[in-house]
Amino acid sequence: MTTTEGDRAAELAAAGLDGQNRTALGRLINTGSIGYAEEDADGVLRATVRIPEDELRYDPAILILPHGGDIVLTLINDDKNTHCAVLPSNGDPKFIWLVNHAKGTATLNLDGPGTYYYGSASGNDEGRGLTGAIVIGGEVPDHAKLDRPPQPRP
Amino acid sequence: MTDYVDAGEAIPHAQLSNVTGEAPATGNVDHERIRGARSEPENWLTYYGTYDGKRHSDLDQINTGNVRRLTPAWVFQAGAVGMQSGASTYSFEAAPIVVEGVMYVSGPDGKAWAIDARTGQELWRYKHASPYDVSLCCGNVNRGLAVAHGKVYMYTLNAHLIALDARTGKLVWDTVNGDVRAGESGSVAPLVVKDMVICGSAGGEFGVRGHLDAFDAETGERRWRCYTVPKPGEPGSETWPDDGEAWQRGGANCWVTPTYDPELELLFQGTGNPAPDFDGAVRPGDNLYTDSTVAVDVNTGEIRWHYQFTPHDLWDYDSTMENVLFDAPDGRKLLAHADKNGYFFVLDRTNGELVRVFPFVDRITWGEITPEGKVTPKIYPDEEGVPVHFWPGPAGGKEWTHMSYNPQTGLIYIPVQEVGATATRRRREFKESIPYWGAGVAVDIEDFYGFVSAVDPLTGEEKWRWNNEYPMCASNLSTAGGLVFQGTPTGEFVALDAATGEKLWSFQCGSGHHSSPTTFSVDGRQYIAVPTGWGGWIEGFLPGLLGAAAGDALFCFALPES
Repeated sequence: MTTTEGDRAAELAAAGLDGQNRTALGRLINTGSIGYAEEDADGVLRATVRIPEDELRYDPAILILPHGGDIVLTLINDDKNTHCAVLPSNGDPKFIWLVNHAKGTATLNLDGPGTYYYGSASGNDEGRGLTGAIVIGGEVPDHAKLDRPPQPRP
Repeated sequence: MTDYVDAGEAIPHAQLSNVTGEAPATGNVDHERIRGARSEPENWLTYYGTYDGKRHSDLDQINTGNVRRLTPAWVFQAGAVGMQSGASTYSFEAAPIVVEGVMYVSGPDGKAWAIDARTGQELWRYKHASPYDVSLCCGNVNRGLAVAHGKVYMYTLNAHLIALDARTGKLVWDTVNGDVRAGESGSVAPLVVKDMVICGSAGGEFGVRGHLDAFDAETGERRWRCYTVPKPGEPGSETWPDDGEAWQRGGANCWVTPTYDPELELLFQGTGNPAPDFDGAVRPGDNLYTDSTVAVDVNTGEIRWHYQFTPHDLWDYDSTMENVLFDAPDGRKLLAHADKNGYFFVLDRTNGELVRVFPFVDRITWGEITPEGKVTPKIYPDEEGVPVHFWPGPAGGKEWTHMSYNPQTGLIYIPVQEVGATATRRRREFKESIPYWGAGVAVDIEDFYGFVSAVDPLTGEEKWRWNNEYPMCASNLSTAGGLVFQGTPTGEFVALDAATGEKLWSFQCGSGHHSSPTTFSVDGRQYIAVPTGWGGWIEGFLPGLLGAAAGDALFCFALPES
């Protein structure tokens, strides 16, 4: 599901940074909607990412996962131009062409926590905004933590 | 309802390349074989070539008489996919491993490859998808792999120790060994000893508690962990405030590969700086085991002895640098260490006793160490907001890049950096994953130089030096061909005469060197391999070249076949 962008979206719109060829030529990276993956009973995370018509962005631009593991993305290109996605995955990045009005899937494996970026490595797509983020929350396993009392975080 | 074209399932990126996906099987590399690596110089079996860290090869096909004919045999371009483009992207810091004609090497951004060592053909690739926002002090880098037991071991940026199948590059096991939310990361080349994989942590700049770990090579299960900052009540804890929290954030990370003595069964591990780097007032005491060499029992992980090079460090003088093992003519078992603080130490490696200490750089202003080892600080940032300039800077007279030792000449060849810095103390509260330095630091962008210094470790005498306009920021390699190979920050890869320091050959690689060259032979032909790519923590060791040409490639040189 995709959440509303709230005040930040309004701020970006006021600055003319929320679309193609407004203040800038393209779109600032990751200044779009925020979505959350859903977890199946088997622990596999699933989400859908779309490319809206004439906006040259992934929607959601920022996809949040509760933890690392296997992720199945459905990718839908609603645009009238061809794009692609090169997505991070342990072992090798995954590549998918997305011609006009195409739909496919990408099965990824990612560790958590942290932020991973992906993009349409096609022509100048990344420079115009077709860069997305996958953000993994959670903690590392207890056995990987330092033997010390809890420390203050920012 | 739109009828979508079926785009199918995303494919591995390598499927759109000429990667074959499989490396030929090689003979089993195990502990005994690595222990005897000196006897098979056609291979470079472990990080330093041999357990003793000499970085010396007995290959002599390429020698002082013919090195002028050395030419590139092939070049491997690492490249990058995605939006990242910075100094980190291009720092190719690994030491290539070679087993029977197959090269295993890691690059920036979690990449590892198997390459045909004769042709440069990419055989398989693996990329660990590490988060973009892991706290990294010193670049998006990796210093290399370990190969043994049919596997390739890599420590990843997000602190996973992983094992890959040496033939296919497919993941065999994955063990999480660090807390990225605490600022821990991985950049070290693992070391295989017996049936264990040894690796240390990174993250001292973020105030973690350093450690060295051993894992079961087959399963990835941890065998032991050795913390390099003691808890209250443990040996060495008396050197930290007993009523404070400083030990919990003490640093002392083990981010360079240890050397190993199979007879003593001791690992010799250098440890990193204390945290915060420059604000000592929050951590009164000597702060063991920071800035030390610790001798660790490989079977238990217990520290048998230690020697601290810079007690209560206030200058960021990590001592993670290698400890080269060699024997004196009288048979005494020694250890050589060129420290960031500008002094060269020779220790008895059986007990840590100081044998000799002498300066190996020209400019030392931070303090003084007497021949007996007494340390007297002179200049340090102890007043809030007051700039203090000192030599060597925080990258040290020598950083992590390695010296080499030629048993024929008896000389150690040190890549020397002559760069100073100004630190201004700025106290801050500790917070996990936030840089914990306690100062603002500016490394000099003018007034620097470098050289390779050929030193007799038995006397401390400098036999020759090869001067360069820029500091030496790459490891060197010694060979039985009477040569020392050294890369420069401006891209030249040079061959020096090991006896005289005369430059005999040079090749411009197009981007600077910050890696560890290795040598090997296949079908009787000797090759010299060197990863290039100017990058990493440049602002810390040579910001005067932050704008230099970038690019990450691995060059492999050989003599013409005809």
